[in-house]
Amino acid sequence: MGNFIGKSVKRKEDVRFLTGKGRYTDDIKLPGMTHAAFVRSPYAHAKILNIDTSAALRAEGVVAIFTGSDECGNYGVPCGWQVNFKNGETMREPQQPLLAKGKVRYVGEAVAIVIAETLEQARDAAELVEVDYEELPAVTNPKEAMQDGAPLVHDQWPDNRAFDWCIGNDRAEVEKALASAHHVTELEYVNQRLAPNAIEPRSYIADYNVAEDKWTLYTSTQNPHLIRLLLCAFALGIPEHKVRVVSYDVGGGFGSKIFHYTQEALLTWVTKQIGRPVKWTADRSEAFLTDAHGRDHVVKAKMGFDKEGKIVALLADEYCAMGAYLSTFAPAIPTYLHGTLFQGLYTTPLIHLDVTAPFTHTVPVDAYRGAGRPEATYLLERLIETGAKEMGMDPADIRFKNFIPAFDGVNQPGYQTQVALQYDSGNYAPVLKRALEMVDYENFRKEQAEARKQGKLLGIGISTYIEACGIAPSAVVGALGARAGLYEVGEVRVQPTGKVSIYTGSHAHGQGHETTFAQIVADKLGISIEDVEIIHGDSEQSAFGMGTYGSRSLAVGGSAIVKSIEKVLEKGAKIAAHKLEAAVEDLEYADGKWTVKGTDKSISFGDVALTAYVPHDYPEGVEPGLDFSSFYDPVNFTYPFGAHIAVVEVCPDTGKVTLKRFVTCDDVGNVINPMIVDGQVHGGVVQGIGQALLEGVVYDENGQMVSGSYMDYAMPRADDVPMIETDRTVTPCPHNPLGVKGAGEAGTIGATPAVVNAVVDALWHLGVRDIAMPLTPARVWAAMQGKS
Amino acid sequence: MKITGEHQLAAPASEVWKKILDPRILERITPGIKTLEEKGPDHYKAISEVKLGPVKGRFEGDLFIRDKEEGKKCKVVLDQKSKLGNALAEIGMELVPVSERETLIKYSGDARISGMLARMGQRVLGGVVKTLSKQFFEALEKEL
Repeated sequence: MGNFIGKSVKRKEDVRFLTGKGRYTDDIKLPGMTHAAFVRSPYAHAKILNIDTSAALRAEGVVAIFTGSDECGNYGVPCGWQVNFKNGETMREPQQPLLAKGKVRYVGEAVAIVIAETLEQARDAAELVEVDYEELPAVTNPKEAMQDGAPLVHDQWPDNRAFDWCIGNDRAEVEKALASAHHVTELEYVNQRLAPNAIEPRSYIADYNVAEDKWTLYTSTQNPHLIRLLLCAFALGIPEHKVRVVSYDVGGGFGSKIFHYTQEALLTWVTKQIGRPVKWTADRSEAFLTDAHGRDHVVKAKMGFDKEGKIVALLADEYCAMGAYLSTFAPAIPTYLHGTLFQGLYTTPLIHLDVTAPFTHTVPVDAYRGAGRPEATYLLERLIETGAKEMGMDPADIRFKNFIPAFDGVNQPGYQTQVALQYDSGNYAPVLKRALEMVDYENFRKEQAEARKQGKLLGIGISTYIEACGIAPSAVVGALGARAGLYEVGEVRVQPTGKVSIYTGSHAHGQGHETTFAQIVADKLGISIEDVEIIHGDSEQSAFGMGTYGSRSLAVGGSAIVKSIEKVLEKGAKIAAHKLEAAVEDLEYADGKWTVKGTDKSISFGDVALTAYVPHDYPEGVEPGLDFSSFYDPVNFTYPFGAHIAVVEVCPDTGKVTLKRFVTCDDVGNVINPMIVDGQVHGGVVQGIGQALLEGVVYDENGQMVSGSYMDYAMPRADDVPMIETDRTVTPCPHNPLGVKGAGEAGTIGATPAVVNAVVDALWHLGVRDIAMPLTPARVWAAMQGKS
Repeated sequence: MKITGEHQLAAPASEVWKKILDPRILERITPGIKTLEEKGPDHYKAISEVKLGPVKGRFEGDLFIRDKEEGKKCKVVLDQKSKLGNALAEIGMELVPVSERETLIKYSGDARISGMLARMGQRVLGGVVKTLSKQFFEALEKEL
């Protein structure tokens, strides 16, 4: 209708971000506010023999010190997703205590909290807390955690298994198909553990107001309402209507700020004890130690092909680390967000995945951008690429041969996979065709052969992907173990002057909601984008909300707003009809006004809004006001897809990988703001490149994290990445009103295997078949020498 | 981390034995050790300061001499605590006479560090141990 959807409108929020005017939790200073510092375990596994706080309590400025022996030690944060064992038993769910009690189970686990007048005083006093430990053996690798005699993370169970799980066709049937396949490709690898590294460390302020008997928790979270629910109903057992959770600007989450962390609950408990506000902001070291990590799968997988290169079966066994406790969404990541994507874009008729999820002596592992889907895509795309090369086939051709034929989900039904999901709509060949065109695939192979003669090692790697986004249908996720619904809430509050405030339960931490959502509203209402304000991140402003993750903001949150706009226009039409003395059916709405069809009689949106709030001359039976809220619960996930291609050059002397080009063709359904989608793809791709080439959390044999700073944990920098070339096809989502699919995670999902495939391609003629991520120069060089 | 090495000294084994088990000398020659105070037979309270890459810590804890075989071998156990993390080292030392006036010291053991010390310092630990051992033997040579 209007002029905003599909335009690269500049981001409204960037003015404050770029001028240092953002309102992050650590920027907030409340009167009388105290500061917290934690005493953390230096051991991965130890008995706590004694904690002596006497010297610390005497230190200057100390207000209070609490340990696991205080009342707070009885509380723990819950897990939000239940996965059952294959035999039907409920997963093992240890309490994740607010402060360690009796035992510590990972390096960095909090043992005591010190509250003082200033941050420096709190930190100084924390150093005076004496803790006696008896160190115990630890296990950090998920496969080793399942071996006989492995140190137990939780003594109450006979082994470290949190749960086991499987999905797909009957295992015996899959094995039979593999046994009779023309060719079987097998890979064993580790999808390494990553630290999320949001630019803003986690930060919380809890403020108990005795006069109102109310708490306010300011938190750097991706989902304030869900935190309030988990905090009140599960962690502390305090009344939900007495707690306000505020999450203004958040400097990146990537999944790591979805979860309800122990510090949120602990600070909320502490503020009432001390009768003053209390703040804690993680330093970078604490972020490495205590932000939930991502990935960490030990994988063995087989893909069987027929003579023509058609996939006949796929089988995988994975050990997926949970860490010491079950974080909010942890059990869902290597299961329902992972195994359900094993169909990929291919017609594979037989699929089976077995997952063993053990506890390990590490910080919990949970969703990290892509969450389970990058791991699935890595598995599929490394296998199909390797299979093609082993059979002497072209890696692009083999993919075309296996693609699911196009279906729009309207005239053709959705595609039922072997692994539970039904894809909404898809047209897969064009994305790969376009990406190949962009990279000039035909010519590249000639260039590569030529370069090889001159001793230069060029490689090209393809990856295609599909992801399940817009994480929602409550009934579906409920059946899969989610302990919450996954709808979204959107309220459109039209002011008497015709200005519009939108209250969304979705949350922005870099995605640009204030622009994208405003574009939708301005477009649908035919008003100026400046007349629309997007409000989020405050449990007392938006009615409810499920927050932002799983690329759900636009598909679910945007759709909720559209539903409310439709209600506004429906009621507005009644008021307009009354004012214009016409029938509702005779009106049309365009350019911000209702017009009686075929006449020049019209009334503007603003005049109707004013009438709604000053209802002197008003239609009978219509309530005053123009304010609607909607809960939108979609019928299915959305399924964006795409193709990524990386071109690399490997230095023959040092093994250093240089990315020459990175090309993407994504299909995220309809696009509201192409610039923002490009930005999401750029950021995601760089994160995917980070996993392929640079990043990795390393624990030593005693469970010490030895990659706990930027000296040892390499993040991608501008000079590690080329200009990212993006294009798109559009296959609208058939089941949401905007036809959108979501773009937040696509880049991360597609990029990693493309880069690794490219490096292996560059070195294939040297006998290199696989290299463990991250592909550091040392590892690539070793592989080139036949030592990997 | 495994620590192994050897060093040849121009002194008879009996003299080397005496020197390395003399707390006053040990205090003087061990790099990083500030004080070594006897708490009991073969048991000392040690205070040390060590720089490990970007982190510098003041350590306090016990030093034990165990499994002594007069003039031949012993085990040094160093259990140190600091605000940056803890360190535990168990090093076996063996004196092998090469000639009347020369002795080979062979040492081998394990050092474990924890907490921030491990996080920030693990990568440079091997190099630091090498440097400290070198300093120790150079200083010991001067005492002989």
